[in-house]
Amino acid sequence: MFTNRQKMSVVLLIVSLGFVGYLVFPAMDITAQDKPETFVTHSGTVVQTTGDILDPVYTIQEVEFDPLQYLREFDYGEVSYLEDGTTLREFTIVAEDDKIMEIAPGIFYNVWTFNGTVPGPTIRATEGDLVRIHFTNNGSKEHTMHFHGNHPAEMDGIFEIVGSGGGQFTYEFIAGPVGVHPYHCHVMPVEEHIGHGLYGVFIVDPKEGRQQADEMVMMLNGFDTDFDGENNLYAANTIPFYYQHHPIQVNTNELIRVYVVNMVGFDPINNFHLHGTLYRYYPTGTDLIPSEFTDMTTFSQSERGILEFEYEYTGRYMFHAHFTEFSEKGWTGLFYVKDGSQLNKEVYDYGS
Amino acid sequence: MEVKRSSNVKTAVSVAVPFVLLAVMIGYVFGPGSELIDYGILLPDISIEKIEFVDSEIIATVRNTGPISVDVVMADINDRIYPAAIEPDKHLERFQSAIVRIPFEWNEGEPYAVGLTVDDGTRFEKRVDAAAPSIQPTIEMISYFAVIGTYVGIIPVLIGLLWFPFISKLSRNKYKFFLALTVGLLLFLGISSAEEAIKISAENLSDVFNGVLLVATVAIVSFLALNYAGEKLKERAGASKLAGPVAIALMIAIGIGLHNFGEGLAIGAAIVLGEAALGAFLIVGFALHNTTEGFAIAAPMARTKLMIGRLAAMGMIAGVPAIFGAWVGGFVYSPFAAVIFLAIGAGAIFQVIVSIMRWIQNEEGKLSNGSVLAGIAVGMMIMYITSILV
Repeated sequence: MFTNRQKMSVVLLIVSLGFVGYLVFPAMDITAQDKPETFVTHSGTVVQTTGDILDPVYTIQEVEFDPLQYLREFDYGEVSYLEDGTTLREFTIVAEDDKIMEIAPGIFYNVWTFNGTVPGPTIRATEGDLVRIHFTNNGSKEHTMHFHGNHPAEMDGIFEIVGSGGGQFTYEFIAGPVGVHPYHCHVMPVEEHIGHGLYGVFIVDPKEGRQQADEMVMMLNGFDTDFDGENNLYAANTIPFYYQHHPIQVNTNELIRVYVVNMVGFDPINNFHLHGTLYRYYPTGTDLIPSEFTDMTTFSQSERGILEFEYEYTGRYMFHAHFTEFSEKGWTGLFYVKDGSQLNKEVYDYGS
Repeated sequence: MEVKRSSNVKTAVSVAVPFVLLAVMIGYVFGPGSELIDYGILLPDISIEKIEFVDSEIIATVRNTGPISVDVVMADINDRIYPAAIEPDKHLERFQSAIVRIPFEWNEGEPYAVGLTVDDGTRFEKRVDAAAPSIQPTIEMISYFAVIGTYVGIIPVLIGLLWFPFISKLSRNKYKFFLALTVGLLLFLGISSAEEAIKISAENLSDVFNGVLLVATVAIVSFLALNYAGEKLKERAGASKLAGPVAIALMIAIGIGLHNFGEGLAIGAAIVLGEAALGAFLIVGFALHNTTEGFAIAAPMARTKLMIGRLAAMGMIAGVPAIFGAWVGGFVYSPFAAVIFLAIGAGAIFQVIVSIMRWIQNEEGKLSNGSVLAGIAVGMMIMYITSILV
C-alpha cells in the first residue's frame, strides 16, 4: 500500500518532529515528586512547589564551616614564658589551596585556607607578648602571612615568599599595638589570594584587659564565585544568611563586644548597621575611648573596629550591611536577645 | 529470488559496517580511551529562555545548553537573592529545561534582571525591559489576539487584493514591471524573515543551537520541500492554461501566510515580553506593510479572468496565519518555535521568488528586461520605506 520510501519519510518526519518538540517544550518529567514541598519567602508568604526548593535562607543547612563556632572561638596559642617573664604564644598555621567548600546551599567554591577554614583562626595575644607563628605552606602556590601591626620588616610577609608543597617560615614579633587587626596572604595577585579566603583576625588585648563581655568576631567577607570581578555572595563569617536562621543568642543588659574586620574585596566599602540599640565604636580598637556612639559604621577594605553595646529589651534584632545589595546577598543576621536575669531558668531551645 | 536476498544482505552489511566501526570508535573514546581527550575544562552553560510575570511571582524557563549537566542552586532578581522553587527539579541534564518560580512583588513597567546560579558558582542573567503581566489564554485574550491578527494579516492583504482590476488593465510591459515588483517585495520579506529568525536566535537561544546555521538549514529544507510540492501541484493541474498563474499565486499566498504567521508571533511575543508599546507599532507597521502582500498575490493572477472566490481564498491563506501566530506568540511563546517558523517562512518566500522568476522567464524568454529589473528594485525600496514604520 505504501512504498518503503513513503514509510521511511514518515518515520523521519516523526523523529524530527519529536526532536523539535523536545527542544521547544520544557521536559515533562513524570518522576516529579508527588508530595508538594513548601518554603517561606522573605516577606513570610508560604509557597508550595512540586519541585526542588532553592532557598538560601530558611532551610537548615549542613555547613562544613560553623559560623556560630567561629564567632566566639579565640586561639591564644601555646603559652610558655621566657626568662625575662615575657609570655610566648606559639601558633601553628598551615595554608592549603585545594579545598572545595559548599559556601552557600549548593554552591561549591575552591577556598584557600589557613588551618582549613575561611576565615583562618582568630589569633589573640596581649600587648607585649612574643608571638611566634610556625607557618607551613602545603598549597600548590606560594603563600605568606602578613599581619597588620608593629613588626620588623622581615616579619612583614611580603618579600619572604613561602614556597608551595611544604615551604616553611617562622614569623616572630611582639604583639602590638592594642586593637583588632587583619592578617592575610600577601602574595600577588593579592586580590586573588584574599578573594579565595586567605585571611583572619588578629586581636591584641591591652595589658590591663578589657571589661568582661560576651565577645565575638565578625569577619565581613564576600566571594566572587564566577570570577567576573564582582562578589556573588556576602556574609559576616563566610556563610551567607547563616545568622538569619541561626540567630546569635545574647542576654539583656550584658555587655556585648564585637570585633569587626572588613575583608570584602572588589567593593570599595562595606558597612555595619545594628537594630534596636546603639554601640560605642572604637576604630581599629587602638584607643580605649570610643570615637562614636552610633548604629552605623562604614568600613573601607581592611578597615576594622570594636563595637560595644547592650540590649535593654528581649527579642530578635537584625544586624546587616545597610548597603542593601550586600545584605540581600547574604550579609545579614539576627541577635536573639533573651532575658539575662531569667537565664538559668530557661532552656536554650531556639534554632536547635 | 535467492540471489536477490543474498545481495540484500550484502547491501545491509555494507551499510552497517561503517556505522559499527564508528560506534566502536565512539565507545572507545568515551570508555577506555577517555584519557586521550581529557584536556581542557568543560564550563557549565544555561540559558534563560523566557521570563513571565504572574501574581506575586516571576517565572523563568531555564535550559541547560552547556556540555555538562548542572544543578541550578540559587535564584536572584536584580542581583538580590530570593528563595525560589525549581520544577520539576534542580538537576538539569544537557538540553533539559525547568521552570524557576521566584515569589516577588514586581511592579508593572519596570525593568528586571533574573539571575540563576549553578553549582560551581557561575551566575547567568536575563533582562526584561518592562515587566507586564503574563497573558493567560482566556476567551477575551483569544479574541483580542484574533482581532489583532485580523488587523495585521487579513484586512491589509484583502485591501491589497483590490489592486487586481488595476493590474489586469496594464499593458504587457507594465504588467511585467508589477510582477517583478512583487519579486522585490518578496525578496525583502524573505530577507527580513531570515534576519528576524537570526536575531531571535541570537538574543534568546544559546550558541549551542548554532542560530544562523539552524535558520539556514530550516530555510533551505523548506525551500526544497515547497519546490517539490509546487512542481507536483503544477503537474496535477496539468496543461490547463490557468494552472501556472493560479499555482504561483497559491504558492505566494502560502509563503506569505508563513511569513505572516511569523509576524503574528512577533506581535504576540512583543506583548507577552512586556513590550506593549512596541506591539502597537508593530501592528500599525505590519498593517501598512502587508497591503503590499495582497498586491503580490493579485499580480500573477491579473492576466487570468477575475475569480473573486479564489482571490479571496488566497487572501485568507495569506492573512489568517497571522491570527494563529499571535495566539502561539502570545500564549505558548517559545523562541525556538519562533525561529523555526520564521525560517520556514523565509524558505517559502524564496521558493515563491524562484517560481515567479521562472514564470517570467517562460513568458519573456529572458530576465534582464529593463522593466523586470526596475520592478524588483522598486519593490525592495517600497518595502524598505514601509518597514521603517515598523
